[in-house]
Amino acid sequence: MPMQTLLWILISVVGAGAWGVIALHRGETINAAWLVLAAVGTYLVAYRFYARFLATRVLELDPRRATPAERLGNGRDFVPTSRGVLFGHHFAAIAGAGPLVGPVLAAQFGYLPGLLWIVFGVVLGGAVQDFVILTASLRRDGKSLGQMAKEEIGPTTGLAAMIAILAIMIILLAVLALVVVNALRDSPWGMFTIACTMPIALLMGFWMKVWRPGRTLEATAVGIVLLLLALVAGRYVAQSPVLAPLFTANGTTIAWLIIGYGFVASVLPVWMLLCPRDYLSTFMKIGTILLLAVGILVVHPPLKLPALTRFIDGSGPVFAGKLFPFAFITIACGAISGFHAMVASGTTPKMLRRESDALLIGYGGMLTESFVAVMALCAAAVLDPGVYFAINAPLGALGGSLDAAAETIRTWGFSVTPSQMQALAASVGESTLLARTGGAPSLAVGMAQIFSGAFGAQMTALWYHFAIMFEALFILTTVDTGTRVGRFMFQELGGHAWEPLGRTSWYPSTVFASAAVVAGWGWFLLQGVQDPLGGINTLWPLFGISNQLLAVVALSVGTTVIIRAGKARYAWVTLLPMAWLLVVTLTAGWQKLFSADPRLGFIAHAAATTAQMAAGVMDPARGARLVMNDRIDAVVAAAFMAVVVLVVVSSMRVWVGVHRGRIPARSKETPFVESSYAV
Amino acid sequence: MPSERASIVARWSAVLRRVCGMPDYAAFVAHLEEHHPGTRPPSEGEYYSQYVAARYGDAPTRCC
Repeated sequence: MPMQTLLWILISVVGAGAWGVIALHRGETINAAWLVLAAVGTYLVAYRFYARFLATRVLELDPRRATPAERLGNGRDFVPTSRGVLFGHHFAAIAGAGPLVGPVLAAQFGYLPGLLWIVFGVVLGGAVQDFVILTASLRRDGKSLGQMAKEEIGPTTGLAAMIAILAIMIILLAVLALVVVNALRDSPWGMFTIACTMPIALLMGFWMKVWRPGRTLEATAVGIVLLLLALVAGRYVAQSPVLAPLFTANGTTIAWLIIGYGFVASVLPVWMLLCPRDYLSTFMKIGTILLLAVGILVVHPPLKLPALTRFIDGSGPVFAGKLFPFAFITIACGAISGFHAMVASGTTPKMLRRESDALLIGYGGMLTESFVAVMALCAAAVLDPGVYFAINAPLGALGGSLDAAAETIRTWGFSVTPSQMQALAASVGESTLLARTGGAPSLAVGMAQIFSGAFGAQMTALWYHFAIMFEALFILTTVDTGTRVGRFMFQELGGHAWEPLGRTSWYPSTVFASAAVVAGWGWFLLQGVQDPLGGINTLWPLFGISNQLLAVVALSVGTTVIIRAGKARYAWVTLLPMAWLLVVTLTAGWQKLFSADPRLGFIAHAAATTAQMAAGVMDPARGARLVMNDRIDAVVAAAFMAVVVLVVVSSMRVWVGVHRGRIPARSKETPFVESSYAV
Repeated sequence: MPSERASIVARWSAVLRRVCGMPDYAAFVAHLEEHHPGTRPPSEGEYYSQYVAARYGDAPTRCC
């Protein structure tokens, strides 16, 4: 026992010491190792003390209670799985592009705000949400968030939650697709590699289904080898005068290609395209993230980005808005992500072997995602600030040429020369890196720097395209699975209006619903591609607001579950993060709607555009389209806010009802069944 | 000892499959034998089709 106490004192001292170093290094460069140490020290202490408090006092995890996997085991979706394996599975399901892109964009404020929000947000918010929802679903036979909202709060709330989830999916898919568009635009190497993933996936699909049925690992191994070959071959395609033009496309073309892909993937049988791509991207994701962790440990690079930049005042070029509330919107995944509540109430609860494993899977899995976000932040912060802004600021803010961009960045207080940007682009095998917004390219440059530092400097271009391929691969996997899920939701909701629409096996309904979902996110995607400020500017905050609002819904379901279980004195564990997010998201939503700054507020932007049209400095057709976009964005933001206020108010009525004794403090848990596994 | 090596490969293959959410035919057959003795297990190909249909149902399986 004393040995353990000593160890925890040591971990706490190292973590606190690292925070001390970060606090004292203001205005000078700091090594990434300190950020990693501070984060890991905080995670360990939180996991040992706070998470254990949640497990024993609040949720009362009981290893003797049989899990759905044990009671309902069918060898397919309900499968008792060892916790190490399930940890990997759950992590691969929750961590995608979100924790990689958000921190990179938020680095416009400097590394400090992002770091603090990622580390403390996860410990007190994100990991708590995932853990509570996972446990709640675990005790309800693996029910989904929407079903739990319906049962614990009420049917209207359930329906509202479902509409909100569908709307959030649409914004999410649009913004993720936009990240891919910006990474692949005018990049024959990247375009070729990603194009190759389609025939590779088809080959794998037929391999697993037709030629050697069920041999998934074999097919995936072949797929990975072919994918790496495609990556290497991409360089020769980019250098070939014949092939390069075939794979060079502008943003609008790529956007249409992705829209077409999303539709086809949603209508085709899953085994053909979607499922093999899913396997491929899961392997690549886990492998690359491990590689990045090793790279950062080996290189432990100094961070060139300052702790805080002048853009905390809201004048930043990457996205508009002040540090509060927009840092907390921009970084969702990694700190807290409402979307996780869907995974935590989806596949994972059906696979837990023992109830007590929920601590490691729910809380620990989210801590690991947060660590990925810290690594992404480090990868962005190793870049020269001038280079960071040259890549991440939209062309409309930088000016059209390299010289103009260098001059603009100089007025922001950072320096970058045109020749430096040209040399950087050449070193990664691209024609230009200027204004490649969306976070993925700057993350890939940072990762390429770290990887070439750790594993040999000759291959910078290959590492850059490896990083782009890895991001684009799993973003497109989210786009195809997301479109399919959106299609099912649309069919279920549509079935209320017209019954045949609800038949998921009726082909016309499938085609119609897929087209509707694709049209939804495709519209936002095209709007983003044509936006003079690059689209990420508008869409990423909208995505952040919607994702955080979903977290508010999840946390209010969690609070209701805790209160109805007769544990009202512990309700603060979900209530406090919920209150914070409610303040953050409603403030951000309000500013996006009503801010007088046309860079920030949708309504002000529409008014400014109308004024430009009246003055004759804006093409009328283009202006009309921009005004229309602003109006739709405003309606979407207002609708999100209304839905969440509705959910929170109806939850509060349940809480007050339980408190006054009108509603019985009894939750809808499945009755206790003794586990047959030895404790 | 080739049999020992084969079992190590099988174990790690099972781990990889489970992490990536791939179907594990051997585990399914074991489940049937234990809980539903006498049931004729589907072929590996049939099992694969059923598994994929169940997994890519109507709930999101991954986050952003």
